[in-house]
Amino acid sequence: MSHDWNSIDPQWAWSPYEPDARCPWNRARAAHLFRRAGFGADSQQLDQAVHQSPQQVVDQLIEPPADITAFDQSSGDLVAFALATGDVHRLAAWWMHRMLRSPFPLQEKMTLFWHGHFATSAEKVADAELMYRQNQLFRNHALGDFRRLVHEVSRDPAMLIYLDSATNRKAHPNENYARELMELFTLGEGNYSEQDVQQLARCFTGWEIRRKQFRFNPYQNDEGEKTLFGQRGKFTGDEAVELVLSRPQVPGFIVRKLFRFFVADEPAPPDQLLQPLAEQFREEDLQLRGLLRRMLGSRLFFSDRVVGSKVRSPVDFAVTALRSLRATTNVQMLSEMCGKLGQMLFYPPNVKGWDGGRAWINSATLLGRANLVRQVLSDPATRFDGGGLLDVARRHGKERPEALVDWLAELLLAVPLSETTRMELVDVGRAAGNETAFREVLYLMMTLPEYQVM
Amino acid sequence: MIRSGIAVSRRDFLRSGLAGSALLALNGQVPAFLRQAAADAANRSDHILVVLQLSGGNDGLNTVVPYRDPLYYAHRPELGIPAGDVLKINDEVGFHAAMRGAAELLEAGKLAIVQGVGYPQPNRSHFESMDIWHTCFRKTQPRRDGWLGRYLERVPQPSELPALHIGDEQQPLALASQEVRVPSVASFEEFRLQAEPAVRRKLEALVARNAEQNDGLLDFVRSSTQAALRASQQLADIAKSRNTAGGYPRTPLGERLATIAQLIGADLPTRIYYLALDGFDTHAQQPAAHAALLEQWSMAVKAFFDELEQQGNAARVLLFSFSEFGRRVQENASQGTDHGAAAPVFLAGPGVRPGVHGALPSLEDLDDGDLKFHTDFRRVYAALLEDWLGLADSAPVLAGKYDPVPVLKKAT
Repeated sequence: MSHDWNSIDPQWAWSPYEPDARCPWNRARAAHLFRRAGFGADSQQLDQAVHQSPQQVVDQLIEPPADITAFDQSSGDLVAFALATGDVHRLAAWWMHRMLRSPFPLQEKMTLFWHGHFATSAEKVADAELMYRQNQLFRNHALGDFRRLVHEVSRDPAMLIYLDSATNRKAHPNENYARELMELFTLGEGNYSEQDVQQLARCFTGWEIRRKQFRFNPYQNDEGEKTLFGQRGKFTGDEAVELVLSRPQVPGFIVRKLFRFFVADEPAPPDQLLQPLAEQFREEDLQLRGLLRRMLGSRLFFSDRVVGSKVRSPVDFAVTALRSLRATTNVQMLSEMCGKLGQMLFYPPNVKGWDGGRAWINSATLLGRANLVRQVLSDPATRFDGGGLLDVARRHGKERPEALVDWLAELLLAVPLSETTRMELVDVGRAAGNETAFREVLYLMMTLPEYQVM
Repeated sequence: MIRSGIAVSRRDFLRSGLAGSALLALNGQVPAFLRQAAADAANRSDHILVVLQLSGGNDGLNTVVPYRDPLYYAHRPELGIPAGDVLKINDEVGFHAAMRGAAELLEAGKLAIVQGVGYPQPNRSHFESMDIWHTCFRKTQPRRDGWLGRYLERVPQPSELPALHIGDEQQPLALASQEVRVPSVASFEEFRLQAEPAVRRKLEALVARNAEQNDGLLDFVRSSTQAALRASQQLADIAKSRNTAGGYPRTPLGERLATIAQLIGADLPTRIYYLALDGFDTHAQQPAAHAALLEQWSMAVKAFFDELEQQGNAARVLLFSFSEFGRRVQENASQGTDHGAAAPVFLAGPGVRPGVHGALPSLEDLDDGDLKFHTDFRRVYAALLEDWLGLADSAPVLAGKYDPVPVLKKAT
């Protein structure tokens, strides 16, 4: 980015967005909110949103809707089927289905955030049920209490297998989880010492997994005195987690990561800009909902510099277009293709999770994105609101090529098309005026650089 | 180059002699794309490393056979390769009979063997030992990146595809990095835009527009898309004009090495290619399976360098093959061998000092039934990094100072 965040007043940035002539509340800004806080909005959702205030829409996105229970029930039937196969890739397809269909998309988006934050790979865990249980843990606390989440992750079987708790014994403490808990999950590098790592590892000795359940083994637990962050005591694992969570760096560390996930990829914001959010997060005792409400309802979030300032992840790339057009497809194929583009669900590349931002983009992944769209559009399982793209367009009165292009651009793109690009796409749509031509327009639009950002 | 719209072959550019500091000194008066190319040329060697991993634990003793050693035949009553069958390398060892391609490479001065490679306190788990080879660290140490990943972080890289993993297995940990993302592609097909020529042209035209200059994400994506379309077009052209009778085995390995040869021929800026051949875990019924693997490996590597010779690129390319461990000296009761320790590694290409380097570990003085290593694998890595890729000091990458095995001709 040619400009940084220094010119932005933090108080202004995080105050509630109030539409005005320069920054009006319209379908484009509503679509921005839905893309970031979920996986895009369909035409009807945009119609409704512009008749509400932005804060009302944020509130709706952030609270579980009434129909989530029914959805969870049917989704539970699907996952039972996936788990019966023991195949983690089936589980990935199930999650993809949730992202496409859940009436509570922010919950899925935050689940994805936590999956990347507390990154655990099935490559090592190799157990679909444990990966599912961890996924549900992230989902249950998606917008809840970060403190509880960390406590539960620290006892989560998939995590403890991934980070070698099996070998964390009194005589030979394994530092893996202790280190990552501080470095990647709560504090950030440089905010603890090597001695803290060693001492924290001692607190976790005897935290084992037996028959897929957490178990405390007192015989392997080091009950001696430890010194953590300069404090001495016979800390238990739970007490040690509390000590870590009470460090002053925690709120800022999490807020920074959420900023990158929800607001902008780059450049890294100065602490000063994040200060008001970090303070709120601390005052609210690490509760996430209020923090997200403020972030997603802020002036900065709706400002022009933030719209279009993120590279779409493979999942955002694939799911947003389909969700916006109420499309269904073969979710197994879709999740495998996202894997080829660098984001295989349940298989993050390492404990640091996916880097995101520019790292998603290179020759191979860009060609892969284009080919993914080609494959989805030619797959017989792909349907748009139960039929063809032409049918949906007709239903919305968008059967003329100009109307189609503008409508698709509104649903899918965060940045405007130039007039020449728009006219070229209109020409493609006009060529035949049929399903094939309309799909070609969609293919080209999703392959354009403009669709790769959001 | 990416933004210029003018096709300049980076290699032609290097050969033109304009590269390097003389042009850099003109900073400000040369077009941006030339400046970038010059910076690339000044910062990078032209050399390419292809790592071909032999997964499962290759039986080194039946690959480079000590056909004069009675102890070998004593330990291998069923599996020993008869002295009359081996393709003799010297008075001590010879290739397995299936490795005709390797023997021809050696004859042409393009193959080196380093004997007795391993590491202290060998681990006999596939996963753990492979991780040690990939990361240079043991389980007790933090390991979240690989040796090649750390190398990529330490030298300026082209923005496009500094390294490429070709295969459908999980990306090797060796390529993991905190900063550099290495794509994995299963096949040439995946690097091809699957679109009708008219659609492709339309897309190229759309992407070429609006090339406003700023450093924003959109501009980054746009220039990346232009580069991707161009690279994919180059590859499509090459694939069309390619002589398919290349002598490669008709296996995924053969196809992948052929793909890499095409990519090198297409002048991709990629410096590191990684691929794997699996199946070396020969606990039972070893003879036929092992022979087939060795034949495939030899044939593919030979065909690969034949193609590179035709292209005129062979001198820039070095292929390195290793396995996570060798196998037990004593064969087992199932006509197979179990997990072992030290084993030979292979380097192929005109840049090697051909022949056998280092002594065959003793078949008498064993470590719990396994060959003892005398050359730490990081000494081989040090040679690859310093003597081939031109890294001044491999110590930060290898987490320690390792003396390079003198297996490569000194860089020119």
